[in-house]
Amino acid sequence: MTIKTLSDVEFGAQLPVFAPDTSLENVRRFARAAGWDRPRFTNHEAARAEGLPGALVPGIMSQGFLSAMIHRWAPDAQVTNIDTVFRAPVVVDEVYQISGVVTDIDEEAGSVVIDLTVTNTANETRVFGTATAKLPT
Amino acid sequence: MSLDIEDLKARFLNVDFDEQTFSITAAKLADYAKTCGELAPRYTDPTHADFQAPPTFPSSFNAGRRLPDGFPNLPGMGMDAGKAVTPRLPIRPDTKLIGRSHIHDIYTKSGRSGRMVFIVLRMELYDEAGAHLSSADTSMVIRERPDA
Amino acid sequence: MILDLHTHSIKSDDGRAKVRNYCQWIRSRDIPIDGFVLTEHRQFDAESDYTALAEEFDLTILKASEVETDYGHVLVFGVNDALRAAFDFADIHLSLAGVIDACEQHGAIAVPCHPGRKRVGMAAHLDLLGVPAGVRIVETLNGGSRDGEDAIAQAMARQHDYLGIGGSDAHIVSHIGRCATRFPAPVNSIAELVAALRAGDFAAVSFKTSESDA
Repeated sequence: MTIKTLSDVEFGAQLPVFAPDTSLENVRRFARAAGWDRPRFTNHEAARAEGLPGALVPGIMSQGFLSAMIHRWAPDAQVTNIDTVFRAPVVVDEVYQISGVVTDIDEEAGSVVIDLTVTNTANETRVFGTATAKLPT
Repeated sequence: MSLDIEDLKARFLNVDFDEQTFSITAAKLADYAKTCGELAPRYTDPTHADFQAPPTFPSSFNAGRRLPDGFPNLPGMGMDAGKAVTPRLPIRPDTKLIGRSHIHDIYTKSGRSGRMVFIVLRMELYDEAGAHLSSADTSMVIRERPDA
Repeated sequence: MILDLHTHSIKSDDGRAKVRNYCQWIRSRDIPIDGFVLTEHRQFDAESDYTALAEEFDLTILKASEVETDYGHVLVFGVNDALRAAFDFADIHLSLAGVIDACEQHGAIAVPCHPGRKRVGMAAHLDLLGVPAGVRIVETLNGGSRDGEDAIAQAMARQHDYLGIGGSDAHIVSHIGRCATRFPAPVNSIAELVAALRAGDFAAVSFKTSESDA
């Protein structure tokens, strides 16, 4: 269900989960667009040489995934703040799930707060955070 | 090498140490959005009347310098511990953007082999007319090596 | 009675949850806990008063701390003025022995948390520092654990005859109650919590599901 207005939202509502494209090809394309074309993000061998488990999905890309999830759920949402904590590496070519739940509704401000998480296939949290988004009333 | 955190805060907090100008093409903005899984046309379609950067885009800008002049050398590059963005106004393609950076906070946490030092860098983004477009924080964590 | 013994609010530097939202979440999702303990990082939040919230939502809301020692992070239950004067909660180089000693002297109890976690868990320090004296309880179920951390904690607990508590380590609203601690008798105050922990009659419980793990 896509959300059009604040009144469509219930406390505790789960946003539609999506599996982001963390393939090397997509991450490379992102890195070029962002000006973050560095080996630790675009080359598994080079990343491992730095002591990393493999090429990393940039934190800003994980943040982008979370924001995209909000817009998929509520296309007219205006994200007014998004705050993410990177707990563990998100590795290129591995499978992740992006999820969110509504944990606060401020009718006066016309906004919602959404808990955000990026989890791996073992359901371990790699990135978490919150976003505030204004919705049409 | 052990950083004197209180001294660093007194000397460096909330003092602009860098200014950069940026401009980004519509094609790159659209690519940025699509690779993140955005579907909303105002982020993915440069022909859309309200085409703009996705709200997390300001996080991608880096200051010209990692840290202010006079800041002690840090052991290693540091890892990205988190990012926060407060978008205020839309960022449009092919416009001149001005980013001013300062250290917003410095704090420490314990680690097995020494302290972890967190440095929060904030970039405030403006357009040429001085409109405040966004604030973007990056928390950088550096693992101090124990003193020999 | 079931309490989540390890949670963080916006008072912690990496906490993103408002306490009211925790309460709303517990009730709207029927999270099977009767309350929770706020264990803010490197501080005791003496200012906040959650009495009204606790009454509104019929939950037990207690306050404690998570401090940092040479053996990693430690939950401290039963914080009082005397204990706050005994050591600096903001110090990241506390000695576990000192924290345990101060707790004993001032009616509190110290419980190493996420002991299986690299760098900030007790198990990571045993080789170098030895088995610490005075530890009776550790956190054997932590809602934020990954990569076998709980298994390490449980193995260590078995080896050294530690009792185990559970807590979510929630930093965002939707993570509360993933793990908790079951007590046979009501626990409605910090004094009752400390007494129950000292009595040793409790069990760590997990409510993790494929949904709630996220």
